[in-house]
Amino acid sequence: MNPQANAKHISSFKNHTMRVQIGDICCAISCGDISIFDGLQKLFNNFLTDQPADISIELSVSEQLSPSEMEASLSEMRYIHEGNHFLPTSRIIASNYDLANRTISMCIERNPGNPGLDLKLLNQLLYLAYYSAWKLRNNGNPRALLVHACGILHNGKALVFTGPSEAGKTTIANLCREQNGEVINDEMLLISRPEQHDSVLEVRGIPIIGGHPQRLNATAPLSCILLLKQSNKTRIRSINRTEAYLRFIRQIITPSYIGLIDKRSVLSLMADFTDEVTGTIPIYELEFSLDRESLWWEIGKLERALEGEDIK
Amino acid sequence: MMANRIAQAENVIWRRIGDDVVVIKDDGQSIHVLNKTAASIWEMCDGKCGINEITTRLCERFDVSFEDAYADVKEILEKLIQTGIMNQIEKIRGN
Repeated sequence: MNPQANAKHISSFKNHTMRVQIGDICCAISCGDISIFDGLQKLFNNFLTDQPADISIELSVSEQLSPSEMEASLSEMRYIHEGNHFLPTSRIIASNYDLANRTISMCIERNPGNPGLDLKLLNQLLYLAYYSAWKLRNNGNPRALLVHACGILHNGKALVFTGPSEAGKTTIANLCREQNGEVINDEMLLISRPEQHDSVLEVRGIPIIGGHPQRLNATAPLSCILLLKQSNKTRIRSINRTEAYLRFIRQIITPSYIGLIDKRSVLSLMADFTDEVTGTIPIYELEFSLDRESLWWEIGKLERALEGEDIK
Repeated sequence: MMANRIAQAENVIWRRIGDDVVVIKDDGQSIHVLNKTAASIWEMCDGKCGINEITTRLCERFDVSFEDAYADVKEILEKLIQTGIMNQIEKIRGN
């Protein structure tokens, strides 16, 4: 099925444009549908910028799928490249890109039950744009990689809680009160690569949408990483480097970009990044229950230990 | 069947993490961890050495007899080949 061929386009992309900051990248997003555009502006309010765009996303909206086709199309997309077209595994979207003009064009099926954009789809668009811009700018070597994680800003440093879906990232954010810190993002963060051997790794907030309403456009040095494990008790335990490596690498958002993907280079980048992070940053496993008090007491104890001992 | 020369598969990337080696297939779907002994063997599999040379070099590194080491090396190599992260370059001897 080629959605573009039969799509009844009900909006064009040319009327409204905003620029959104994703780390060091600026992404212009154009959408002719005013209700979707307004919704996006509200979602990205903290990340709007006047910087020149590194890459552009042009959104158009169509209505062509039946409800049953929509239901079938909601499975996770995979980016499969054929010439300059991709995303054929999703029936929601038709898409193509123009490397010379640094533009990704997408035709998105409007969901009759939810006239706004599917948020998961929107997140995928943002990290596709992020990695694509780096591919165009620096041949696929970004200064920071996207990681599935919840970030909490506390005492000027970022605590990073990471784990797969359902591990409890949003739960951690929801258990965070003012005295515990500020939620940077509960779904995804940018973690920088060290520019020099002894340089500090930084966490940066991004406009990716998770389950918690707050998304901070903030940068802070990375204090430590806690690998989440839900439990009926709360405790923090040290883990060895290999376990940290294996669990962390799975939480990196695999760099996917427009153009021909060199899988080997992408995996090498992820392996090197994991090596850098696990070799530099203290990593622990956090078993936690829904008891907020014991959670933050344990984390406070860890923070004091890290301050005192300057671990690693 | 054991190969004379053994090499790491071309479709993997690997990193040494402390005493261990982490091997990732380039489809990104599977990750293997090799412990200290397997990691040492892995690093010797450069496509130039066979099981005898690897066993000899391992005996130099660890205090173990050739006979004892040979059995372990053979078992580990067979597992690595079976997993698809190691290749036999040429087969000259059957067991």
